[in-house]
Amino acid sequence: MDPTFEPIIKVEDYTFYYPDSQVPALAGINLTVRPGEFLGLTGPTGAGKTTLALALNGIIPHFQGGRLAGRVTIAGLDTAATPCARLAGVIGSVFQDPEAQLVAETVEDELAFGLENLAVPREEMRARISAALEMVGITDLRHRPLRQLSGGQKQKVAIAAAIALRPRILVLDEPTSELDPRGSLEIVNLLERLNRDYGMTILLIEQKISLLAPRVPRLVCLHQSRIVADAAPRQVLGQEKLVAELGLEVPPVTDLFRLLSRAGVYHGNLPLAVDQGRRELDRLLSHESP
Amino acid sequence: MPARSFLHELNPLTKIAWSLAVITVAFVFQQPLPLLGLWASVLAVALAGKVLKEILPAIRGLLIFAAIFILFQIFLIQEGNTVFTLLPGSGFGRVTDVGLTACTMLALRMLAMTSTIPVLLATTPPKDMIVAFVEKLRVPYVYALMLVTSLRFIPTLQEELGLIIQAQRARACDLESRNIFRRLRAIVPLALPLLLMSVQRARTMAISMETRGFGAGPRTSLRTSTFQTLDLGVIAGCLFLTAALVIIALR
Repeated sequence: MDPTFEPIIKVEDYTFYYPDSQVPALAGINLTVRPGEFLGLTGPTGAGKTTLALALNGIIPHFQGGRLAGRVTIAGLDTAATPCARLAGVIGSVFQDPEAQLVAETVEDELAFGLENLAVPREEMRARISAALEMVGITDLRHRPLRQLSGGQKQKVAIAAAIALRPRILVLDEPTSELDPRGSLEIVNLLERLNRDYGMTILLIEQKISLLAPRVPRLVCLHQSRIVADAAPRQVLGQEKLVAELGLEVPPVTDLFRLLSRAGVYHGNLPLAVDQGRRELDRLLSHESP
Repeated sequence: MPARSFLHELNPLTKIAWSLAVITVAFVFQQPLPLLGLWASVLAVALAGKVLKEILPAIRGLLIFAAIFILFQIFLIQEGNTVFTLLPGSGFGRVTDVGLTACTMLALRMLAMTSTIPVLLATTPPKDMIVAFVEKLRVPYVYALMLVTSLRFIPTLQEELGLIIQAQRARACDLESRNIFRRLRAIVPLALPLLLMSVQRARTMAISMETRGFGAGPRTSLRTSTFQTLDLGVIAGCLFLTAALVIIALR
């Protein structure tokens, strides 16, 4: 690890109980993320993924009460001691339901909402809205009413609205769960681009491993409120017991090669996407037939 | 966005002033005919603003409401000459000429007064309404936002209700029974999911607003609320007409 990179997200021994609950929603979480990382977070429903997202953007403890222990530090700010509004300029959040998280009537007003809250002057607001729309690639939607947009377009608007506040981190809680395959793919491609071209730190919570695995260098698995794996997707998906226990939806091509390697036919890295798999298969077949 | 008509271009407060003018005039006239004329003028404004078609469902609802209103009132007024009786000879369900005029007058007054609201809503983006309230009337932002957000969610709720109705029908839930009690009881399996979904949605929205700095303190606004010459003209016209009509009615 490069020592000059201060961690941008630091979660230390974090435990959280929702009010009136005897079971922790998060238990002893330790997580360090460096600037510019693209991190995938997965795990079964109820594992604590959403709770972790809420702990990062300060909703816990400012909006959602409960018992907690440990510390979350975002870009040097302790979330428990920093108001949500101050965190808004550091960490942007996108949620599952494309309908419920949008508050305005038109795309432009939606992007303006956060900027208005933070009292950005009008001229700068216009410039920032234009910049955010361009980064997300939806400049043509600027004056459209939100009601007319598709789910995927609405999620892009939600991302642009978060980006307009110029956060250093973007946390997305299952942004594709209500989208069709094409819309989902567009969203993850967009995130990949934001990470690569703008160096934005991204934490993507996602159940669809086949979307996540080929794109993120690091995959964290939550299970029953704890982190049970934190490694490259290839290594995580190679652990058969873990995959079975968590019911992770492994991409079929990865599954095929896992079977091949168990049969002793294949010895290389597990491919995570179809094109990698085809290449490996070509190589394998050309070795087979002398 | 290009404005669709002069009504869309007006400041929301100008339209509210028009609405208040209509209400004032509706109160000073006591005869059905001028009130019918007033209601026609409201519909004419809607037609000129190209929103008459859009507001027709709302007008239909108001008409039904007015009919119920008449039905409840008309048998209660006893003075005047009998026009007809529901059960001839028994005196039950007597309708008098005075009652008929009074009820028609009240119904038309209500129609004229309330018909301006759908016109206002159909021609004003909610955001403009917030800005006008906050900037010109000094209404606190939170109240203006609450009002407008509740309006915004009406179509979403309608969509959701449609979904729930289909889901409950698919499970053979009887929603269209002729029995009035069964029909009332059928509201529960519709209202409960709708309520739960709305609470969930409200929570998500609150969190989403919170993560974008809502309530951080003083805020700025992308748009401003301005009064143009057209606004001033319309307000002056409304004032003049209202004054003239009040004088005519009270003479």
